[in-house]
Amino acid sequence: MSGVLVRRRARPAPYLLLIPAILVLLLGMGYPVVWQITTSFQEFGLAQQFGKPAEWVGLQNYIGLATDPQFWAVLARSIAFCIVGAAATVIIGTALALLMTRVPAAIRLTLQVSLLLAWAMPIVAAMTVWIWLFDRRRGAVNYVLGLLGIDMHRYDWLSNPWTFFLVAGVIVVWMSVPFVAFSVYAGLTQVSDEVIEAASLDGANAWQRFRLVIAPLIAPVLSIVLVLNLIWDLRVFTHFTFLQDAGGKSSEFDVLGTYIYKVGAGAGDFGTSAAVSILTLAITILLSWFYVRQTIKEDKAS
Amino acid sequence: MTAVPVRRSKRNATRIGGVRPATIVWSVVAVVVAIVWAFPVYWMVNSAFVPNIELQSFIPKFFPVHPTWSNFAGAVADGSFFQALGISLAVTLIAVVGSILFAFLAALAISRFRFRGRVSFLLVLLFIQMLPAEALFIAQYKMVAAAGLLDTIVGTSVIYIAYIVPFTVWMLRGFVAGIPAELEEAAMVDGLSRTGAFLRITFPLLAPGLVASAVYAFLQAWNEFTVALVTLTSDQMQTLPLWLRGFVQASATRETDWGQVMAASTLVAIPVIVFFLIVQGRLTSGLVAGAVKG
Amino acid sequence: MKKRTISGTVAATAAVAMLALAGCSTTPAPAPTPTAAGPEDITFWLIGGDTPQALRDYLVDQYEEVNGGTLTIEEQGWGDVLTKLQTQLPDAANTPDVTEIGNTWSPTFTSVGAFSDITDLVPELGGDSLLPSFVEVGEVDGKNYALPYYFGSRYNFYRKDLYAAAGVEVPKTLGEFAENAAKLTTPELSGFYIGGSDWRNGISWIFAYGGDLAKNEGGTWKSTLSDPKSIEGLEALQDLYTTSSHAPVTEFDSTPWVNINDNEATGQPEAATIIAPGWAHWSIGDLTPDPADATKTVATWNDDVFGTFVLPGVDGGVAPVFAGGSNIGISAASTHQAGARDLLRIIFSPEYQQMLGENGLGPANLDYTSSLGDDQFAKALAESAAGSKLTPAAPGWAAVEGSGLLEEFFGKVNGGGDIAALAAEYDAKIDELING
Repeated sequence: MSGVLVRRRARPAPYLLLIPAILVLLLGMGYPVVWQITTSFQEFGLAQQFGKPAEWVGLQNYIGLATDPQFWAVLARSIAFCIVGAAATVIIGTALALLMTRVPAAIRLTLQVSLLLAWAMPIVAAMTVWIWLFDRRRGAVNYVLGLLGIDMHRYDWLSNPWTFFLVAGVIVVWMSVPFVAFSVYAGLTQVSDEVIEAASLDGANAWQRFRLVIAPLIAPVLSIVLVLNLIWDLRVFTHFTFLQDAGGKSSEFDVLGTYIYKVGAGAGDFGTSAAVSILTLAITILLSWFYVRQTIKEDKAS
Repeated sequence: MTAVPVRRSKRNATRIGGVRPATIVWSVVAVVVAIVWAFPVYWMVNSAFVPNIELQSFIPKFFPVHPTWSNFAGAVADGSFFQALGISLAVTLIAVVGSILFAFLAALAISRFRFRGRVSFLLVLLFIQMLPAEALFIAQYKMVAAAGLLDTIVGTSVIYIAYIVPFTVWMLRGFVAGIPAELEEAAMVDGLSRTGAFLRITFPLLAPGLVASAVYAFLQAWNEFTVALVTLTSDQMQTLPLWLRGFVQASATRETDWGQVMAASTLVAIPVIVFFLIVQGRLTSGLVAGAVKG
Repeated sequence: MKKRTISGTVAATAAVAMLALAGCSTTPAPAPTPTAAGPEDITFWLIGGDTPQALRDYLVDQYEEVNGGTLTIEEQGWGDVLTKLQTQLPDAANTPDVTEIGNTWSPTFTSVGAFSDITDLVPELGGDSLLPSFVEVGEVDGKNYALPYYFGSRYNFYRKDLYAAAGVEVPKTLGEFAENAAKLTTPELSGFYIGGSDWRNGISWIFAYGGDLAKNEGGTWKSTLSDPKSIEGLEALQDLYTTSSHAPVTEFDSTPWVNINDNEATGQPEAATIIAPGWAHWSIGDLTPDPADATKTVATWNDDVFGTFVLPGVDGGVAPVFAGGSNIGISAASTHQAGARDLLRIIFSPEYQQMLGENGLGPANLDYTSSLGDDQFAKALAESAAGSKLTPAAPGWAAVEGSGLLEEFFGKVNGGGDIAALAAEYDAKIDELING
């Protein structure tokens, strides 16, 4: 293995190294991805799953979606959720990372362990405990708000789309911030003290120091965590499934992930469900285009 | 790293040495954030120890005043937890090792070589992560069934590896790029063998990156639900997320026994928390080295 | 609680079931005549934990005796079984040979060819004594593919103490039911606790007012929420929910019995009346510490405090409620058809039907309903089952349920929406799916 590290000019080497990864991708994702794409152009329902030949319908599944106001509503909601969620995650994560650089080691470790605990929570366990925290009868949230003088007696957070999405946002941000905070903190430790020192000597205030000195240095990490969070928040599924089981289940509570599942597994229209997936992929590429372009450019440059 | 022009300001710096009060304020903020962030985890563990009879009250119990093991006893009573734990550990282990190994090799190729199709491969890796998984299960099932790997640890692990590899390649390529090949060459000039050079020079530098990737892989494999549901078909082959969901659902058919559900959740979380605490030190430095070069 | 609600659709045609319950128990059931097809190892999926362990053991033992092969019973959860049915049922190598299936899903799976034709077996399994409405949803073009497994309809539980304090009696009509509920309601107490999106109970009002969910017009199903009679029922439901239920408008899958028991913290119940599947009575009563585990409580039924009654109809009698239940069928992809048929023979044997009844599950063969016993729960079950009604036997009905449209519709109605407009909107949405 070590040899290939240095054998820079061997021609077949890169391809050999890629074989295992490509093979496992083909094995694990190849057929499903091809199936997904072809199915999106077919009429494919439960009958087809039970052996009836699938009929090619061209773009019909896509046209059906484009003319369905409910799909547009779900799409708009998902994009809004994804942008707000990813932005909040990155802002809070960066703030916590900066905070870590400002506190003594012991306190920093406390904060890090706390974030680590949140990060390590298995999603099923996390959702279960959050749903219970927001339970309208026995939830700690309503109780504590009550103590603070805000009367939330029996308030059902999960029955109103706005508070439902607020709760979902809180949970998603809670789970994603640790990764961002650690990554950005890691980036910050690379910014040498002298640079910051020099900046403060030059009279830059905190915001200027961040904007002019620190931000450009951690820009690469900020852009990768931003793009990752955009991807993850747009295809968020498990969180919403659990919340829907505990609260509202109607289409006002849907995001793309649950919509795909409802249309496919629920209503048995796998063709349309595959088409939504492909559209979601396309939209994610668009949303993260800034990153894709930057990657290609950097790559050409290096 | 690029040098950054610092705009010069005429105003003199006002606080060079006097940072102490600020540090105290920030420390207080940090502790508060730490408490808030860990609260749901605390709540889960706390509730797991509170007797069910007390949990039924409308006033939340913030401390287990009368701690009990009965919730845990109830959660593991039928032995299915330990079976699921074994399956989960096996699937996760294979997925972590497999994906790290394959991703490492691919990352080497990408960061050490220029070849045709390199950028396309990178983009495919990025795009694959963007495809929602919720409509894939029919095809995944068919594929695993056709390979005769239904209801086996290997079948499920292969799909997991395929899920995880794209991101880990992405993550690792930054690390590998950060280690100059010259370093290894120099070591070999100094008389070390290739393997020796790799083990002594390259590997330690890579370790944090591998840890960071392993953490990601571990979480993905440990948490996954839908693929496990359709590919692990028998009762004996349940992973922990399947087990926990089944447990919660069974509990909900009467009145949800929150104490037991929280105990079950705690049990599912413990292995991950242990794993995280073990790798914690490496993790931070791992993210340091990798993310910046992202 | 997911389980009951998904499977939970009964439906018997009132008159026939009533007749069967009342009189037919003298007809002897045909004795099972097992075939010797050679030992075959088969798998049987049960959904949820309704079938008690003793019954499972019985099936395994009997199967070995009759067939010589091994029967493996696997339990699936109601929440995820649809996904597993979609993937495994068509796959000959991994299909369960026999499976329980939510009866409302039966038309869909039957019409896509998921089950084997067992028409020839029906006379032997009970013939006309099988719960007709359940048989109907497993039928295509006069052939039988899925048969009833068990039924269990819903009836009301109420607090005698609260009824007495409010000076109300057990209602005789649906109108009286609503008046009582309103009288009983206080800011802390729901006169009748029903989730806003709980369509499985909500449709009773549509049925009671003579409406229906859908009708078949010349081979094409059409959703009929806009039918004037359906609208009348929905108006009554909206009114009842608004005045008498504090349940969230999104609650669809509730465990309502927690509300009728005394609350630990307040010592008061939160509901004076609920509607629930019959087996809920195991969870209703005075709460006392569990002798086996002091950290838990158990409910002990108390006749002085709790009572049952069947939801009354608009003009008295019994309202057509929505009852729970499952069907059963042999996977068409199974390579062990003979063994699967042996298992069906055992399930429909007098012994097993009797065992179902003794465990509070309505037996598929109505000749054995007497096995349910004659306590108030058995009586209420029988009485409500007699009036119960099925969701449409339309090929796309599982899609309608799976898409969540019904929860959505009932949630919006009970949320105070304009009923006529909503009914028209959801008729159109349901029409898109209901024909498969």
